Amino acid sequence: MSELAAPRRRVRRLFGARQLGLIIRIVAGAAIAVFALSTPGFLTPLSVNALLTAISFVGCVAVGMTFITLTGNIMSLALGATVSASALIFLASLSLGVAPAFLIAALFGTVITAAQGFLVGYFRANPILVSIAALSLLLGAAAFATGGHRIYPGGAGIEFFKGRMGAVPVNAMFFFATVIVGQFVISWTRMGRLMTMVGSNARAAIAAGIDITATVTVAYAMAGACAAIGGVLLAARYGSGDMELGAGYDYSAIAAVLVGGTGISGGSGSAWRTLIGVIVIAVIEVVLLLRGFSEQLQYLITGLIVLSVIMLHTLGERRQG
Amino acid sequence: MSVLAVAGVTKRFGPNAVLKNVSLALGAGEVRAICGENGAGKSTLVKIMTGLYAPDEGAVSVDGKALTIESPQHAQQLGIALVAQELSLPPALSVLDNIWLGNREVPLFHRRAALRRRARATLDKLGLADLALDTPVSALSIGRRQLVEIARMLTREARVFILDEPTATLSDVEIERIFAALRTLKAEGKSVIYITHRLGEVFDICDTVSVLRNGELIGTRPTSEIDRGTLMQMMLGRSMSEMYPRWEDKSDGAMLRVKRLRVPPLVHDFDLVAARGTVTCLAGQIGSGAITVLRALAGLIAGATGEVSVQGTPMRLRSVTKAQAVNVQFISEDRAGEGLFLRLNAGQNLIATKLREHCRFGILLRGKLRSVAAGLAAAVGVDRTRLRSPADELSGGNQQKLAFGRWIGSDRPGVLLMNEPTRGVDVGARAEIYRLIRQFCDQGYCIVMASSDIEEVLGMADVVVSMYRGRQVARYRRGEVDMQRLLADITHPVAAA
Repeated sequence: MSELAAPRRRVRRLFGARQLGLIIRIVAGAAIAVFALSTPGFLTPLSVNALLTAISFVGCVAVGMTFITLTGNIMSLALGATVSASALIFLASLSLGVAPAFLIAALFGTVITAAQGFLVGYFRANPILVSIAALSLLLGAAAFATGGHRIYPGGAGIEFFKGRMGAVPVNAMFFFATVIVGQFVISWTRMGRLMTMVGSNARAAIAAGIDITATVTVAYAMAGACAAIGGVLLAARYGSGDMELGAGYDYSAIAAVLVGGTGISGGSGSAWRTLIGVIVIAVIEVVLLLRGFSEQLQYLITGLIVLSVIMLHTLGERRQG
Repeated sequence: MSVLAVAGVTKRFGPNAVLKNVSLALGAGEVRAICGENGAGKSTLVKIMTGLYAPDEGAVSVDGKALTIESPQHAQQLGIALVAQELSLPPALSVLDNIWLGNREVPLFHRRAALRRRARATLDKLGLADLALDTPVSALSIGRRQLVEIARMLTREARVFILDEPTATLSDVEIERIFAALRTLKAEGKSVIYITHRLGEVFDICDTVSVLRNGELIGTRPTSEIDRGTLMQMMLGRSMSEMYPRWEDKSDGAMLRVKRLRVPPLVHDFDLVAARGTVTCLAGQIGSGAITVLRALAGLIAGATGEVSVQGTPMRLRSVTKAQAVNVQFISEDRAGEGLFLRLNAGQNLIATKLREHCRFGILLRGKLRSVAAGLAAAVGVDRTRLRSPADELSGGNQQKLAFGRWIGSDRPGVLLMNEPTRGVDVGARAEIYRLIRQFCDQGYCIVMASSDIEEVLGMADVVVSMYRGRQVARYRRGEVDMQRLLADITHPVAAA
């Protein structure tokens, strides 16, 4: 028991847990900034644009994932498939017009993910297992519906998403809007506060008369809506899609959430932090790309970064008794 | 010569000295109490004695030899054993395995017969003759687990046993078992350091008592030479004229009526009538059902049945929301697990149940909520500057005040259900909590609390309901019952109705 805590304690004797976390964060942030700015070509409009577009897709999913993590349900492995499925639905229903297609896709993502939230909230089912089952169901249903074919746009209008408003790509506008709305919900609404309380201590939430089922369901609904927005942006970007489109986005999203500093055990989290996490990971990836590292190496380095962030968290979260 | 001594020990964390020039020496066969309010430095002192912290100044000596205790393992080798509040026994392993777990004497291949024999002898000595070696620890009560932990330390040839609030969660019968075990240890010449909040225990079991206050040693006295009042005065630095607030009869009509409450398998046909402006105490040990009754009334137990009404309005059981709708609020005995949101700050904890009243279209009125939190903090005596601190950085007493504050401030006083309201709360904060309870009474709340602390029950209750194994034993008005009678009721009721 306590003997194992000795090395951690020694580190913390020097600083406090909090100061230590803050110092490491500042140092890491500065290092990344120096690293990025000293990379030739990083500040060109082309690379900044690419960066903004890239963070928009994973960013929407990551903001959604923040809601799931916040309520203490760790993560969903089905959000990637939700991205793909909403993208396909958006493309297929484009014949109705862009706005209706967008709404249909968002509604689909919301409902399908809210249903998982209900299972998790009402039956206290294991969130990871529920999401694995949902992933399977989504892939199966999609294969059935598409017959395994790629889906192409059923109508015009996706050009809008590829454009820009002033200097900012439309994609990024959607993402930033998602971050702002997400942050508003978390810190300014009653529902957001309830999510935080449920994630902090579910038993205390029950004793305080909080409806856990409703709270978790709404959190998942938010996650699904965010993932669907990501799906629409991706569909518009690639012009066609299959279920591979959003594959892996759930992992990237949880990585961003963790790097941003949201605790994996729930009860804390914000969309701002997730935004920072998304940017940090994207900047590192772009820099590695610009410096000519291979894609495999990029994955490896991203993995190492996420791992070290998790280590840093355990340092900060475990207080001595 | 002292077995274990510290001399002039000072320990600082940053600019704060949590221990200042503390010296004490423990003799062989001595049972020494260490008393002090939360934050007095008791646990820091224990951590220095067990090698978790190194002192900044001063020396530690064992058998008269000054040395540095490098680590908890080193402390164990020196024969200093800590029986912690949170036990370290893996519940799935058997008693036998737990006793020998981590012992250096155990060879790679167990010599089972010898180990069994020695474990048996140790358990017998500690009054656990009826406990089979192969019982999994998970089947044992907390009190018995503590005895098994003591047995484990005994087989490791420990000479100094440090017990950190061993009785905080125990019933009186179990406490008596622990005391018996401690007397055995003493008779064998082992020394005991006994940390407790319960002053009665100091006089029951300890030879000497050392009092810490704000990190300083106030003094060490033989328990035969001082009385309770003196001890309390040493701990608080002021005389506590009265632990329990003055009492006036403010009762005014039945507020809560409970008929034939059943909570299988523990509680059978429990009836209760509690009046507005009174404190009703359900007195009982662990397993008496007192705590369960209140949990059921709070809507937290799925299988509960019975007729409950609040001010004539029937209340549905099995739903927290329904209980809250008729203004029945619950304060849990398990602050960390069920009472507070430890990661949220103190202010957010205070307003946790008031969000609905202070939001418009689902959007929080944050300015309003801040002033509500400040008002509640003032009402329960939590320092306003602490509102932004995470709840888990607050002392037990302050945490309990947060739990209180959450349920007050409504225009119509209701029923407050409290389980063990002063568990893990130090003497000073305890008096404050008693005062708060009385204050709520005066405001017209109907308070029902479950407690296993007889002294507290007698000090606070207007009506005492004694409970044993899920049934009411007797019901007394204030002053109709004394300590002996109540103790008899809740341990082995003979005159059960």
